Amino acid sequence: MRRLGLRTRVTAAFAVGALLLAASMALVSYELTRRSLIDERERTALRAAYFDAAVVRAGLNTDTPDVVEVLRSLDTGGGRRPVLHLDGAWYARTADPGTTTAIPVDLRRAVASGEPAVQRVRVAGQPALVVGVPLSATATYFEINSLRELEQTFQVLALALTTVAIMVAGSGAALGWYATRHGLRPLTAVADAAEKIAAGDFTARLDPATDPDLTRLSSSFNQMVDQLAHRIERDRRFAADVSHELRSPLQTLAAAASVLARRREHLDERTATAAGLVADEIDRFQRLVNDLIDLARSDQPAHRQAVDVVALARDACQALDLPASLVHLAADAPATWQVERRRIAQILANLLDNAVTYGGGPAGVRLSRDGDAGVIEVEDDGPGVSIEDRQAIFDRFVRGRAAHTRGAGDGTGLGLALVAQHAAAHRGHATVTDRPGGGARFRVTLPESLP
Amino acid sequence: MTAVLVIEDDDRIRLALLLALEDEGYEAVGAATAEEGLRVQRRDPADYVLVDLMLPGLDGFECIRHLRRDDDVPVVVVSARDDTHDIVAALEAGADDYIVKPVAIKELTARLRALRRRARAGVTGPAPEPVPVLAFGELEISPDGGEVRRAGKPVPVTRTEFRLLCELAEHAGRVLSRQQLLQRVWGYDSGDERLVDVHVGRLRQKIESDPATPRHLVTLRGLGYKLQR
Repeated sequence: MRRLGLRTRVTAAFAVGALLLAASMALVSYELTRRSLIDERERTALRAAYFDAAVVRAGLNTDTPDVVEVLRSLDTGGGRRPVLHLDGAWYARTADPGTTTAIPVDLRRAVASGEPAVQRVRVAGQPALVVGVPLSATATYFEINSLRELEQTFQVLALALTTVAIMVAGSGAALGWYATRHGLRPLTAVADAAEKIAAGDFTARLDPATDPDLTRLSSSFNQMVDQLAHRIERDRRFAADVSHELRSPLQTLAAAASVLARRREHLDERTATAAGLVADEIDRFQRLVNDLIDLARSDQPAHRQAVDVVALARDACQALDLPASLVHLAADAPATWQVERRRIAQILANLLDNAVTYGGGPAGVRLSRDGDAGVIEVEDDGPGVSIEDRQAIFDRFVRGRAAHTRGAGDGTGLGLALVAQHAAAHRGHATVTDRPGGGARFRVTLPESLP
Repeated sequence: MTAVLVIEDDDRIRLALLLALEDEGYEAVGAATAEEGLRVQRRDPADYVLVDLMLPGLDGFECIRHLRRDDDVPVVVVSARDDTHDIVAALEAGADDYIVKPVAIKELTARLRALRRRARAGVTGPAPEPVPVLAFGELEISPDGGEVRRAGKPVPVTRTEFRLLCELAEHAGRVLSRQQLLQRVWGYDSGDERLVDVHVGRLRQKIESDPATPRHLVTLRGLGYKLQR
């Protein structure tokens, strides 16, 4: 099972804590209120019963007492029902068979021993309080007090307390949620900043002034980013500086090589071969240096403008002595895209070059659209790219396996890295898949380049 | 024979360039500093000047400004620096083209030939048929005379600026893209569009009464440039 997040756990703990606290408070208040109300009620019932018992006793002291009339004369209201046990017979105001059975035996026994007694019972499902007062040896006066109202009060009280407890638990949860949100805000800021940095924005920093308790986190984070940015910039600049420094001697080599090349026919065979090797390698060296410099500065965003990509693709084909008829424009795609000309020209040139070197020549260049993205696909008939190489092939200085077996290795090893980087500069990406029917299909997606 | 002056402080590069250019049929002369180069050019003017930017003493930018003050010889920067800042600064100083080292000799000579094609009509010889003077308000362009006048007064323009202006004037009222201008004026199949932008900017300084809000040489965003009345 996935471990719950810190926020969920803190929120749950707050909720449970609040619920426990609120529930025990509610329980205690309920019990205390209930007990005091019942005690109060018992005392009232007892007092009323003594008074009524005195009235009944007086009523019975006549010669021919009318028991029912005596009971009826009592001012008991609706809440009390008098019952008289006289000479083994039960008397009540009305014929009510349930009344006498409601009086428990042990209460009768207790009252029979000459002591007034109180007991809580249920009469026909309703709570009631029975008070027994001995009148004489043969007469006992009972009063049944309905506790229905009291019971209703308890129910309302219980409902109110439960509601309060639930609300307190909810508030606890909300407090926990809010507190963690507040507490985790610095972490959210760190995560946001880290994401920005991962996306290449090295200007992202944390504000060290937001919270004095988090100053250490912010300052050490910012320091880390500073050092990282510094190191990356230093590496980038080093690569660029090295490449620039190589340019001047390369100019000498290029010019000198062309002098040698012009005199090739005057040289003996061995010298001519050596001169040819030197010229070829200088050429490759030049391309390598140019690719390195391009890579060093291609992480800037693209400068988009309207570019006729079809014409650009045809030019790229012709530059490599390939037929311009390789280029196909999808019916739903316009020929003019909003892209950076130099980068797209290099993407096309490098993909075509790659197809020539490793794929046995390109089988087609397809220009199409995917929403607002322009899509460039270059296909070849070659051996394709194995699944494990499909990511690494866009890294620097990775060359196709075919290169090792063939020993050609004419490329700089930076061509596809540049393709990927130019695509990224357009907020797009480069991928390679199998071409249906064999070969590789390189696909470059350039978002926001079509209307 | 076409003469090329190479102003380059690195002895080996200068020597190799001179050898290679001579192989290609140019009469090549070298100079190790800007001062020496300017002296040589004044005494014995070459048809082209190649300038490095990082020079001891007077730097490449100053050297270009001095060359521009004297005449309209095509100036090509050959530098290892490729920052936009450097390229724009060199072009604004008056360079006609900017080439990043290392450049193959074939490429270098191709660019020099392209520069030659856009040399002034009056310099390269008589035009087959006379082209009338083109007027754009107070601006007058005479393609045959190689002359630009504003309100009757001659405007000093370089060869490249003149070719650019003529190209736009021949297609008056129509938009030419930067790539089209690169192809027609510089002779490049594909090249750095900053070249066009900087030259247009320089032309505006000369032919517009308010270069910040041009009336004749207007930009059409994302499309290119247009010359209008």
